[in-house]
This record gives sequence, C-alpha cells and structure tokens, in this order.
Amino acid sequence: MDINITPEPPYRPFPGMEGESDILNLGFNMPTIFFSWFIIGLLAVVSFAVYRKLRAKPTRLQLLLELIVDAFDNLTQSSLGKRGRKYLAFVGTIFLFVWLSNIIGIIPGFEEPTRDLNTPLGLMILVIIVAHASGIRVKGLRKYIREYFEPGFKIKGRWIPNPFIAPLNIVGEIGKAISLPFRLFGNIFGGAIIIVVLSHLLLFVGLPPFLMFFFGLFVGTIQAFVFAMLAMTYTAVAIAD
Amino acid sequence: MAAETELADAITKAAQFIGAGIAMGFGAIGPGVGEGFAAGKACEGISRRPEEQSLITRTMLVGQAVSESTGIYSLVVAILLIFVV
Repeated sequence: MDINITPEPPYRPFPGMEGESDILNLGFNMPTIFFSWFIIGLLAVVSFAVYRKLRAKPTRLQLLLELIVDAFDNLTQSSLGKRGRKYLAFVGTIFLFVWLSNIIGIIPGFEEPTRDLNTPLGLMILVIIVAHASGIRVKGLRKYIREYFEPGFKIKGRWIPNPFIAPLNIVGEIGKAISLPFRLFGNIFGGAIIIVVLSHLLLFVGLPPFLMFFFGLFVGTIQAFVFAMLAMTYTAVAIAD
Repeated sequence: MAAETELADAITKAAQFIGAGIAMGFGAIGPGVGEGFAAGKACEGISRRPEEQSLITRTMLVGQAVSESTGIYSLVVAILLIFVV
C-alpha cells in the first residue's frame, strides 16, 4: 500500500504553490507561507472592516468578534491582573492565528500552516521573547537573573544564590520552549497522519469527514486554545513577583 | 556483498518500525492515565461546585496539555524513526 504522508491536495485553488521553491539558496515551503499570509490577511481585513463600522446595535460579525475579544479580555484579566489589557492583543492574536491555521485544513485544497513545524517554532520564538522581555521589564534585570538561582540559601538572614539550581532552571525554560511548538505540531501532524492512514484503510468510505471534523475542528480548537493559554501562562509566570 | 547490504537494510527498517511502535505504545500510557486522572478530578470538582465550571475546564485543559508533552515527545521520536532515520 502506498501511503503518501503529506498528500498533495487534489487541486490547488491558487497558482504559484508548487511545493518548495529556491530563493537565495533557501528552501521555502510555499503552501505554508501562502496560507499563513492568507490567514493574516483574512484576520486583518475582517477586523479592520468591522472596526471601521462599529455600531451600538451590532451586526452578526461584530457580535462574533466582540464575543471573542470579551472572552480573552476576561481570561487575561483573571490571570495577569491589571496588566492583562496590555497582553490582550498578543494572546488573542496568537489564538486567532493558530485557530484559523488549525481549522483551515477542513477546506479541501487548503493546508494547515501548523502542519509545518516551522510555523509553531516561529510562534514559540515570539512567545519566549515576549515572556522573558516582559519579565525583565516588570521585575528588572537583577531580579530576573536572581529568579534562576531560587531557591537560594538563607544564612543569617542573608540570601545566598544557589549555583546548583541554576542549570535545572535553565533546562526547565528550554524544555518549556521545546514542548510548546512540538505539542501543536504533533497534534496537528498526528491528526493528519491518522486521517490519511484511516482513509486509505477504509477506502474513503464514510468515516473521513468525521475524522476531519474531529481532528480539524475539535482538536484544532483545543490546541489553539491551549497554545494561547500557555503563552499567557508563561508570561504570567515570568512577570509574577 | 549485495545480499548482506540488503539484509542490513531490512534489519534497520524492521528495527525502525519496531522502535517506533514501542516508543508510541509506551509513550501513550503516561499521558493517557494522567489526562484521564485530570479529567476525573475536574468532573469531581464541577459536581462539587458547578458555578466554577468554566474555570475548572480551562485549568484542566491547560494541565492536560502540559501532561501530554511526554506523549508528544514519543510521537516525534516515532515520526523521526519512521520517516527520517
């Protein structure tokens, strides 16, 4: 049985997406780039169009966006406190981007950008930089570095840094950074593998649409939510006193 | 000579698939038990305080996602064994 693991979509709705291309001797994964920008453009155009015509008696689209913004406003305020508003746009945008990236695969011919490991890795770099930079900004560099030597020794009321705990803390930070993108990628890619393998086993009868809905909509929504929540939690841990 | 290389390739291939299966099978035990435990505890919590349902569900999902990491690592190892090695 010949199972292609990243199947070519049956048709390409848009031209110029013939797999990898070589510009400046770098490999570009064109579907990933294309669909990432497609989602970014969709989000930007829709939210800008709604923002330009805000009404007291909202339209359906405005109501939907207000629901999402309101939910994330509550979430960030409840876990980041009074600084929550500042991180609302960051967390909400990550959620919307990852969510649309995950569920866009249920449209025939569309490919999830998150199926490519590079997209979650890029998002991870963004999240880690934001978390650590805001940690340094809120607590100051001295206190930020001191966190890595916690818990230290207390000798006669003086705090002595513990040099043996620092490597563990640093490895813990690296582990957080590695597990964040691989969780998203593993879930989406594993779902894609299961869809392909089971569809071949069942000769595409009956089950594949339900698999698509389960792995695309259900798992995709949960993983997007988890990614945004973990981004927020890392930031909250970094800026907590 | 050619037969030996073929045999070595076949053994490598078999070892890859067996290794991927073992990695995925054993790696799935921990997250399965752990996530089920978290979900059960969340159910208990919701039955005790139904008004806190949304907070409990949210916390449960994040905790499950973190405890899922080891399963995801084994999935990545299995994928590497099958497709990359």
